[in-house]
Amino acid sequence: MRFGIAARLGVLLAAVGLLAAGVTGFYAYQASRALLVQAAKNELLNSTQVLTRRITLTREEITRTLTVLATHPAAIATLQKPQPAQHDQLATVFRGVMQANPGFFQLRLISANDHGLERVRVDRDDAGLMDITGDELQEKSHFPYVFDALKLPAGATYLSRITINHERGAHAGLGQPTVILAMPVANAHGVAVGVVVVNVDLNGFFAQLAADMPKEFELFFSNQSGDFLIHPDPSRTFGFDKGRRVLVQEEFAETADLVAGKVDKVLIEVREGRYAQTPVVVAFLGRKVGVASNEESFIIGVAQPLAVVLQQSDKLGVTMLQIVTALCLVCILLAVLLARFIARPINVMSAGLQHFANGGQVRGLPIDRNDEVGVLARSFDQMQRQINQQLTELQNSRQEFEHLARHDMLTGLPNRRLFQDRLDHALARARRSGKKLALLFIDLDRFKEINDLIGHDAGDAVLKAVAIRLAATTREADTVARLGGDEFVVLLDDPSSQEQIAAIAQKLLDGLKPEIAFEAHALHAVASIGISQFPHDGETATEILANADRAMYQAKAAGRNCFRFFSTAAG
Amino acid sequence: MTRSPYLLRFFAVLLISVVSAFAHAGETLRVLTWPGYADADLVRVFEQRTGAKVEVTLIDTDEALWQKVSHNAGQDFDVFAVNTAELQRYIAKRLVVPIATDEMHNLSTQLPEFRNLKAIPGVVHGDKAFAIPYTFAEMGLIFDRKQIKQAPTSIQVLWDPLYRGKVLLYNGGAHSFTLAAQSLGDKTPFQLAAKDWPAAVQQLIALRRNALTFYTQPEESVDLFKKQGAALMFANYGSQQVELLKKAGLDVGYAIPQEGALAWLDCWVITSGAKNRTLAQAWIDYLLEPGPSAALVERQGLANTTTRSPSRNARDRLVWLEPVEDAARRTQLWERIVSGDRATRVLAP
Repeated sequence: MRFGIAARLGVLLAAVGLLAAGVTGFYAYQASRALLVQAAKNELLNSTQVLTRRITLTREEITRTLTVLATHPAAIATLQKPQPAQHDQLATVFRGVMQANPGFFQLRLISANDHGLERVRVDRDDAGLMDITGDELQEKSHFPYVFDALKLPAGATYLSRITINHERGAHAGLGQPTVILAMPVANAHGVAVGVVVVNVDLNGFFAQLAADMPKEFELFFSNQSGDFLIHPDPSRTFGFDKGRRVLVQEEFAETADLVAGKVDKVLIEVREGRYAQTPVVVAFLGRKVGVASNEESFIIGVAQPLAVVLQQSDKLGVTMLQIVTALCLVCILLAVLLARFIARPINVMSAGLQHFANGGQVRGLPIDRNDEVGVLARSFDQMQRQINQQLTELQNSRQEFEHLARHDMLTGLPNRRLFQDRLDHALARARRSGKKLALLFIDLDRFKEINDLIGHDAGDAVLKAVAIRLAATTREADTVARLGGDEFVVLLDDPSSQEQIAAIAQKLLDGLKPEIAFEAHALHAVASIGISQFPHDGETATEILANADRAMYQAKAAGRNCFRFFSTAAG
Repeated sequence: MTRSPYLLRFFAVLLISVVSAFAHAGETLRVLTWPGYADADLVRVFEQRTGAKVEVTLIDTDEALWQKVSHNAGQDFDVFAVNTAELQRYIAKRLVVPIATDEMHNLSTQLPEFRNLKAIPGVVHGDKAFAIPYTFAEMGLIFDRKQIKQAPTSIQVLWDPLYRGKVLLYNGGAHSFTLAAQSLGDKTPFQLAAKDWPAAVQQLIALRRNALTFYTQPEESVDLFKKQGAALMFANYGSQQVELLKKAGLDVGYAIPQEGALAWLDCWVITSGAKNRTLAQAWIDYLLEPGPSAALVERQGLANTTTRSPSRNARDRLVWLEPVEDAARRTQLWERIVSGDRATRVLAP
């Protein structure tokens, strides 16, 4: 039982603690995970933004290079009147630029005249840089990078669509994804007389971008219509060039709005297709092209495996689990301690009550405590005192009742009932030990007259005085009792002889002689005594008593104030 | 209780289907074709009528078509659609069989130029017709009415210095040479003789120098036409481009030159592996009916062979494409020309 209360309380408290810790931990984890995933997504979006910024920066850098070349005096001179010296000078400059920019496939100066004939051209080849001259120079006026660029004001940049370069004789750039930038070369009158054109290696450029990103990241790039130009699966790029378009909005349906220009960024989680096994988070950004171009915008996307994003939250989950576990242990410990703390005083009290119930006194109740337990203990203590007090009172009144039941109210002597008991006991004792007994039956003479002439109060006074005198005359071991009315008995325990009995009887009669003062009356008590003896005069209490009574009448008949034996027993 | 009318209707439809399906019930027709030639609703009508099941497989390039048909010697399909130029190699490999034209009812509804199969190069071989013309598109000239008031009558207009830098051309090798040969008055533009090459190359370089630029897709051509203010365009996709330009809000005209507009013509043919030639012929016959023929015009913007489009007139000459003497060489030289090479380098080995 003791263990039961503590255990139940402990289990309840522990359960509440565990539940609180678990629920708090779970929701904290959920909320933190959502925050972490969102943070990772934002970070991905930032990475993508940085990437687009880098693309813009690179484009601006190329523009600066083109500006330098387009305003180079040798360029204008070559276009106006081709001369070998200036051609060579410009070719040297072109080679320098090409060497400094490994991402350039081709650098050209193209005339506005002669059907767009190339004047100076440096190509990159597997072997290195090559000057293209003579017959190999081509007419390019029908390409947008010539006819569109020529329409631009001085210093403005033309940006081509990103395509596969199919122009024969383009050396390293042939068949490669290429973007072309061009800038008009203006003469002194501000009229465009040619263009400087650079072919940029798109794959090389993107490989460079990808190299700066974590390995698990995947890069997507598409033109404004959504045609993939860069894709982790190269077979899905430049589909339009192979007669079968592969579109970003078909692979990632959520990018449709981006392609339509309704939004400028899309953040999605992809779990199908090539990402069925390893779901990814992809951030797509649409970016307007800031210069004259047939392409108004492009879309760039970066994919990151969801597992990497969730790695952080998994760590968080483990930490949360540890915290929750520790909290739970603390909860259990606290629950045990609390259970004991609460159960101990209860146990003390219940032990005390048990002791009390078994008749002992309650000790060690925690009555000094200020809490509810203290109140309870004090209540118990008070209750215990009350019970003790009432028990004592009950005991006293019970003893009183018992006394009253066995004694005569007036004289305080044993009454007939008690006397009968004592007689029985004495007889039994005498029979066992072979001792003798003597019963003296005393009846007051003419007591009725006192009652009738002076009053009951006088009678009572006489009875009281007789009782005192009889008791005073007999031994401690003898019993004096009032049987009722004016009848008294004296039971003598083991009298030595009939002479002794007679002596005692005479002594009793003598003891009664002195006058009894009552309200100016001098009263005299005179008695007749009948004596019977055991075993001589009877075996039973009734016989003994009846024979003593008879003997008393003999004494009365003999003139009162005397005693008579029922029989003269052989002493 | 409310269900019973539907149930009745269902059984009625079922009954009709069963009754009408007696002809070819349980048979399967394997159709290999291009997108738009056998739409599901058209197929369903044919299935209900004959009780046969039609399995449609789609291809979108000449090469894919050739691979599918030749893969199992024509055994995998019953009927397919192919253009007259491509048809020749199927006939040569005996992958297709002659068609019993006298068993077909709807041939008589075709326009005269398609009824006379002998007049269409490559369709009839040794008195036997191997193909039934189905749809076609001609490559006419599109012009901006604001810049060119009078509709051009000849392809020579493409070389007119008046429109220098304002001519849009199709970036296609083989038939650019055909175009050049036509402009040079060659009677056999699909078969260039050795001596014809330099002149053709010169002619194409001259064409390039007169060109604004070259396009490949219809949408791209419309975009360029509008943005660059082109005056003239060689319409490789024909009326489809006219419609797109009109939709884009341009006031354009369409002309068929007197030399004749190059045109491709797709025909239905029956494979040598066809299980049931009667069913295959029924399919072709069905597609010549007014319903499917109208669908071709309305849904695909293509011309059918039974009704004349209002934009084309009976005197317009169409030159059905034919196989060329050396497609690879034409492509190679064309790539050089488009890249900007001058004549000496284009003709270099």
